[in-house]
Amino acid sequence: MRPFSYERPTSLGDAFGLLDAHGTAASPLAGGTDLIIRLRDGTVRAEVVVDLKAIDERDEGIHLQDGRLVIGGWTVMTDIAADPRIRRDFTALAEAAAVVGSAQIRNRATLAGNICNASPAADTAPALLVYGAEVIATGSGGTRRIAIDDFFIGPGRTALAPGELVTAIELPLPRGRQGAVHLRRTRRRGHDLASVTLACAVLDDGRARLAYGSVGPRPLLVTDDSGVLVDGSASSEARDLVLDHLLAGASPSLRSMRASPAYRLAMLRVLALRAVEIAAGRAVGGAIA
Amino acid sequence: MTATVPIRLTVNGRLRALPVAAHHTLLDVLRDDLGLTGTKECCLVGECGACTVLLNGRSVDSCLVLAAEADGGTVLTVEGLAAGGRLSALQQAFLDTGAAQCGFCIPGQLVAAHALLAITPHPVRAEVEEGLAGNLCRCAGYEQIIEAVLRAAAGQAAEGGAGRRAHARPDPAATPDAEVAPQ
Amino acid sequence: MTGIVGGSPARSGGRDRVTGHQAYVADIHLEDTLHVKLVTVPCARARILGIDAEEALRVPGVRLVFTAADLPQPVPRFGPQLRDRPVLATGETKYHGDPVAAVAAETLDAAEAGAAAVRVAYEELPAVTSIAAALDPAAPLVQDPPLRPGDALAGRNVLREHRYGWGDLAAAEAEADLVVEGTYTFPMVTQFAIEPHAFMAAPDGDGIAIWSSIQHPNWLQRVIASLLDLPLARVRVFAPDPGGAFGGKQHAKYEPLLAFMARRVGRPVRLVLTLEETFQAVRRGASEVRVRSGFRRDGTLVFRDIDANYLIGAYADIADRTVAKGSYTSAGPYRVPAVRIVARSVLSHTVPSTAFRGFGNPQQIWAGESNMDEAARTLGLDPLDLRLRNLAAPGEAFIPGDTPADGRWAESVQLAARLIDWQTPAAPGRGRGIAVGLKEGPTTGLSYSIVRLLADGSVIVYAGTSDMGQGARTIFAQIAAQELGAPVEAVTIVMGDTAVVPYDQQTSASRSSVLMGNAVLLACRDIQGKLRAMAARLERVDESAVVVDQGTVTIGDREWPIGEVLARGLGRLGGEVIGVGEMRKEALPEHPLGGTAAFYEFNCTAVEVEVDRDTGDIVIARHVTVSDVGKALNPMQVRGQDQGAAIMGLGHTLMEHYILDDAGRIRNLGAIDYRIPTSMDLPLAMESATIENGDGPGPYGSKGMSEGALLPIAPAVAAAVRDATGVVIRELPLSPETVWRALHPAADQEDQPEAVVR
Repeated sequence: MRPFSYERPTSLGDAFGLLDAHGTAASPLAGGTDLIIRLRDGTVRAEVVVDLKAIDERDEGIHLQDGRLVIGGWTVMTDIAADPRIRRDFTALAEAAAVVGSAQIRNRATLAGNICNASPAADTAPALLVYGAEVIATGSGGTRRIAIDDFFIGPGRTALAPGELVTAIELPLPRGRQGAVHLRRTRRRGHDLASVTLACAVLDDGRARLAYGSVGPRPLLVTDDSGVLVDGSASSEARDLVLDHLLAGASPSLRSMRASPAYRLAMLRVLALRAVEIAAGRAVGGAIA
Repeated sequence: MTATVPIRLTVNGRLRALPVAAHHTLLDVLRDDLGLTGTKECCLVGECGACTVLLNGRSVDSCLVLAAEADGGTVLTVEGLAAGGRLSALQQAFLDTGAAQCGFCIPGQLVAAHALLAITPHPVRAEVEEGLAGNLCRCAGYEQIIEAVLRAAAGQAAEGGAGRRAHARPDPAATPDAEVAPQ
Repeated sequence: MTGIVGGSPARSGGRDRVTGHQAYVADIHLEDTLHVKLVTVPCARARILGIDAEEALRVPGVRLVFTAADLPQPVPRFGPQLRDRPVLATGETKYHGDPVAAVAAETLDAAEAGAAAVRVAYEELPAVTSIAAALDPAAPLVQDPPLRPGDALAGRNVLREHRYGWGDLAAAEAEADLVVEGTYTFPMVTQFAIEPHAFMAAPDGDGIAIWSSIQHPNWLQRVIASLLDLPLARVRVFAPDPGGAFGGKQHAKYEPLLAFMARRVGRPVRLVLTLEETFQAVRRGASEVRVRSGFRRDGTLVFRDIDANYLIGAYADIADRTVAKGSYTSAGPYRVPAVRIVARSVLSHTVPSTAFRGFGNPQQIWAGESNMDEAARTLGLDPLDLRLRNLAAPGEAFIPGDTPADGRWAESVQLAARLIDWQTPAAPGRGRGIAVGLKEGPTTGLSYSIVRLLADGSVIVYAGTSDMGQGARTIFAQIAAQELGAPVEAVTIVMGDTAVVPYDQQTSASRSSVLMGNAVLLACRDIQGKLRAMAARLERVDESAVVVDQGTVTIGDREWPIGEVLARGLGRLGGEVIGVGEMRKEALPEHPLGGTAAFYEFNCTAVEVEVDRDTGDIVIARHVTVSDVGKALNPMQVRGQDQGAAIMGLGHTLMEHYILDDAGRIRNLGAIDYRIPTSMDLPLAMESATIENGDGPGPYGSKGMSEGALLPIAPAVAAAVRDATGVVIRELPLSPETVWRALHPAADQEDQPEAVVR
């Protein structure tokens, strides 16, 4: 690795001071599971690495506040996947967090880091989209809320301004019953980067929210208000029509090593149909979401 | 000029204080500065787990942790598993089942398994498979490693358990979604 | 007593492995070492126009930037089959990853910075990276013709063409009721040992010392001695146990380079490859094999006609030998009246392929056994019955001029069938497949062992085998313990130092239990002979009256443990009893392979799969593997090796392959995009078993093992997929996308060719 210097601020104020002072020459470090790889392969060049994990104001946990579940900006995947409230009310997110890399990766990788890295294949992105998450972004100028659908711009690009950090991610608690699931396509059953990621939430009024990733520059959220997807008596032609429309935004990369466009598009459909079925089943069956 | 950071950390129960290069990983420092070569280097991208250590009670790929990040922390490596020269139950189980062939992945497997058993003292086989999925082995086909972990867990049941409860995890059988498994 | 042969005592070296004290090459530190990093260009092939080291030499801590110009001229070359590989690329780089310079510095950081600062001026050249491209008459030549003087093929990218066969093919073709033909491809895959190759070299007086993760220490010693013009006795090779090798650490790679550098700087130098660099250093030969087999209606084979092209790399390494040996037995373990085999090593601008578990056989067996399965389906015969009908009988000279079938192979097949419940239909949605694999053991060999029985009855065994995980140390300890009546914990095995351990030709071809095992056994017998003399002297009887068997000395109806005789016999001066053993298999120059097979490895694998038709996912529900091992010297280690081989075979069957870009560069270097099986990718149920008829040439009737269980996996899985879905797939890996495309052929018509991913 090219050498850099290391700072470990103990307050948000100090952290912003460092980030503002060094600009693009500074890299904020949370879990390191993306950054260290990039520092090593040279895709990121940093003069200063700013370790965020000693900041006194850091939120590493998960708590309820004002009808929202607040996941701290420092909360790691292991804790998200294991949290009973997330497993119950935000099942797709728990399932997504549980497949980010291996146990060792999940013990370090933060949800905030995953969305800031903004890989089109980010496992947690589809779930956050279907749940309508809000990103709490804090900088030296203050705090603002960014809807998750506005947060992802392109591969590696987010709506964060320079010097801003994601200090929390909030999920509105579901109103009424819903069922959700996260599915993905990989090259093996062991941990892998996904060639298609997909989350689906089905509301008890039959509407479905679908979000999918790794088939375009950013993950996409689509909604089916018609209820056709969930309707057991709908014809497969009617369902295909709705799906065609919902999945029309997919534009998989031609150059990917992981899967070809034709396969990705086909799997997107397969996963979408499976996800709707599972999510619909969860919406009606038992006290699960 | 390389920036250095003074760090203090407890490694295998022993306090170590030393300056480290800011860009050196915990793996580098363990192997090169502290002479603990039991932890291995292989993929350097967090895929193979050969570099697995416990950091503050959690299993991590030490190739993705800067040494400076470990300042003030506690590290357990494979060299710290045996207490006073006596092999741990897990290490003994690995010997008994023939889990170590070439042995290169074994330090990482042992630490990952140690972490798994601390959280899930009585894992079912699928939990062991998943818990060790971050530790690649090319010799053994995993079978004897998994058997060793299950055997150690069974042995621990008789002794009342070993290892710290590093992280409370809800019993999967109690969560509602255990009734509807993803297909 | 634990530790006797046939038991499973704890692995010798096991304790060090579970405590982190096992020292691999990268764990060894020498004083005053310089760290080395390699410099490469991002091309499959390039002309080197100039190397500017000025900026690199200004990096603090950099001591040397070494290029081909720093070597003796003309640049020395080495290689086990052809001395074609230059110590450093000269004039031209010939594959993606071919080093053009090496930087040595006080720290690894400085070496990395130095390597990044070396300015190489180069011109990218057209490269051939596929069989078709390499065989095109207009293709650029990979090997410079002067390196192949007098070789009629020097003007082509075919390094060698091998022809084997027997019988009258034309007549047999007329007899066949059915001919089944297919072409099967096997991808480039890499060994991916968890320990990357590691090397050190240090001046040692007026000689040199080398540390390497090498499987063949004596062979390396010869190579270094020759290149540096040193007597063998002045070249010392330390070969710590490799952290996995699988053939990829058999032959010299960067040791020669380091030796020259060490000599130049007068200090130790050290190079540990990154995982990515290991992918660029070693791989298996890829292949296209066309099999044409003729059968009678009842399934009897009448002929096999095999034409194979193996894509080897830019330098021969031992790749051509894998083509020869793998193809020689490609007609399979069957009785086949007429056979014609043509196999070519095709050079390419790719990573030099080398030995890899199976040694050229998996590629052929993928084709040959898939072909058998297709024939079974076409003939309406049970694939199991087709194998049993044609399998060579024990003692049958199924390859004229070579060792006859040395096992009751049908027993392995029948056991595998029984274990997977072949006669009971599979559950709905599941399919079953079965395949057999055969590989020749070593055709020549030479192993020496020295055994020292110490005064207290403990034992030291010197054996030059490399224990890379297969458990050779333990086997030798068991043999010595059994023969000399010592507890296995009191046996120390010394390996891996050419200054101390006598000659072993190599660790390969699953030979060590047989060759070195016999050498150890003979050394023990030598000791037993000396103990007979000792006992005869002590008891004043004739030597012929003394029996020394394993741990006991017997004269008439009196018996003593060896230790007691030893204590009395050594007397006041003390001492020890030294035994020497030599096991040799001579070459036969007129034989197509240079020698007959010492033994055969035979395996039958049967699998049951479920295929998700929508996604192409294959789940191996059941995996049964049965190997014919003669005698399992250590059943636990045998099981570990066979199951490990099975999972490794599932790797190339389901997920492993190099992905090259249009310019021949490797796109998926490293662990993120080169997938190998994890603990979550296992068959849902696996069972391994052995057939032990004591019919091997090794100690106690053993044969070599540990490659067999990898050989037939791919065709067994493909057969099961065909059984479950009806599709026949003739390419590997059977990735989800590949299976999906076979199941949904209309879907890929919109794609550009380059967008298709295997």
